[in-house]
Amino acid sequence: MIRAVIADDEAPAREKLERWVAEQPGMAVVGSAEDGLSVAQCIERLRPDVAFLDVQMPTLSGLQVAAQLEPSSAPLIVFVTAFDEHAVNAFDLNAIDYLLKPYDRDRFARTVQRVRERLQAHQSGARAVAVGRSWAPSCERLLVPEGERLQLIEASSIEWLEADDNYVHVHTATRSYLLRRTLQDLLSQLGEQGFMRIHKSTAVNLGSIGSLTPLFKGDYEIHLRNGRTLRLSRRYREALFARMGQ
Amino acid sequence: MNALSRPLSAGIHTDDGATFSPKTSTTLWALWAAFWLLMIGVAIEDQLRNPLTRWWEPFLTEGSSALVSTGWMWLAVRVRGRHARYLDRPLIWFASYLRWLPLIFITWITAVYAIRHGVYAAAGRTYEHPGWGFVVVYESLKITYNTGLWLGVLFGIDSYGQWQLQWRRLLQTQKALAEAQLAQLQGQLRPHFLFNALNTVSALMHTDVARADRLVAALGDLLRISLRSNEHEMTPLAEELRTLELYAGIMQERFRNRVTLDWQIDRTVIDTPVPALLLQPLLENVFKHGVERTVAPVRIQIGARRESGSLEIVVSNSGSTLAPKYRDGVGFRNCRERLAIIYGSTASLFVHNEDGGVAARVSIPLAGTLP
Repeated sequence: MIRAVIADDEAPAREKLERWVAEQPGMAVVGSAEDGLSVAQCIERLRPDVAFLDVQMPTLSGLQVAAQLEPSSAPLIVFVTAFDEHAVNAFDLNAIDYLLKPYDRDRFARTVQRVRERLQAHQSGARAVAVGRSWAPSCERLLVPEGERLQLIEASSIEWLEADDNYVHVHTATRSYLLRRTLQDLLSQLGEQGFMRIHKSTAVNLGSIGSLTPLFKGDYEIHLRNGRTLRLSRRYREALFARMGQ
Repeated sequence: MNALSRPLSAGIHTDDGATFSPKTSTTLWALWAAFWLLMIGVAIEDQLRNPLTRWWEPFLTEGSSALVSTGWMWLAVRVRGRHARYLDRPLIWFASYLRWLPLIFITWITAVYAIRHGVYAAAGRTYEHPGWGFVVVYESLKITYNTGLWLGVLFGIDSYGQWQLQWRRLLQTQKALAEAQLAQLQGQLRPHFLFNALNTVSALMHTDVARADRLVAALGDLLRISLRSNEHEMTPLAEELRTLELYAGIMQERFRNRVTLDWQIDRTVIDTPVPALLLQPLLENVFKHGVERTVAPVRIQIGARRESGSLEIVVSNSGSTLAPKYRDGVGFRNCRERLAIIYGSTASLFVHNEDGGVAARVSIPLAGTLP
């Protein structure tokens, strides 16, 4: 059984998609949402096989939702859009599935067929995630779990990141969040937001660095403005100095 | 007068007294100076043929006439702004000046003859002229003749100025209307609106054919309004509200259960002429910023009422506020520009936060657009 979630803020459009997906043999709608944040929650909780995401939605666009997902575990994504020439060009270039509104049964059936083939080939939504991230290269907000729910925090409010196996602790001034992500992936998502790796398992927001103290063997201590001290390993020293010197 | 029947001049705004360029005044005074120089010249030539008169006498007679006449001319030029509204009704225009003739006769003759007698006396001579009965009749005829001539000149200059001004405003008005039409058309043909509306139809027709049918008809009507070449700058408010209704109806189908509309229209104002296509940009903004960015239900209020000589139109929505760095978009700028062209400073458009939402308020003078 292929499990699908659907997101569109316009009720008629959402209901049409729900109906048509449910009509497909071997497919079921396990969740549907009317905005980006809720569908991200759906995906996180339900771990569907495929997500149909409207590109224009309140809170987070379909592309922004994709950008927040972890590539290897992301569901296949079908973007649905009324009109977005540039996005559609990007979809074409990267062989991402999409539906243009309005669409008919034939076109919908073709898209579903492709989804089935991709699932059989064990493809994930990694490509859609990459397109989402390249589309919004500066992910100014990060989706973090808050109890049972997800919430958006400003990337600039994050002070440092700490890897912990397959999880990352995201530290802000007031609290920490635990994300099931790799540090590498999170840094690639935060992109140009001013984060740098300073150790195998830590990364820091350049804006929260207060001062540096040299240690022996070329290592440094980084003192954050909040008083915390982190270790800068010499492996990452040059890159950090180059960025800070700019 | 119903502005609809006068689509060309309905959009012309005239400020009292401020409508004439300095160029027309310069032209007028140059002609005036030339006229009096000519009169003095003719008098000097007369004097040359008559050896009994002194050299300064022609200067005195014509000079005193010129001085007093210039006073009256200056007054006429000063008040002409008040009469500008009658430029398209020449009889009334001339009559409004000529009714002062009796006063001019008396003051002119008194002043001019006082000056002449005074100067002659100062020179130890006597100013000799025909009897007072003759003088009054003769000078009155001359004044009437000259006043007629110069009012003709003033009328010509001001009519030309007014014509130019109206022509310029007409061009401005047409340009602004064309821009509004283009904006409207772009709004309707904006891919997001059009394709999403079509998608709503495509979804509805599987569940509710009648509803899908109504939606297609509404979309057709709206596109027809946008494509119609609109040669009238003004349209009754009822027409504008009908366009809003069509647009809102389509949006309501798309965002079902998220939008409620509340119409508060004073029936006595629906025939008031308003600038065509003025209001839709305001409603488009409500959907773009108030509805599409949130899943919470939004209440939209559209109101029109009379308020102390003005027509007040309000388009407001709940649930969103203006960004702190809010700046007017193209739609608002175009609306403001057209209001300014048509009504001058007597109309206004404000957008501001109000009762936890955003309200756009248009105020249009009910007295109409003609001065």
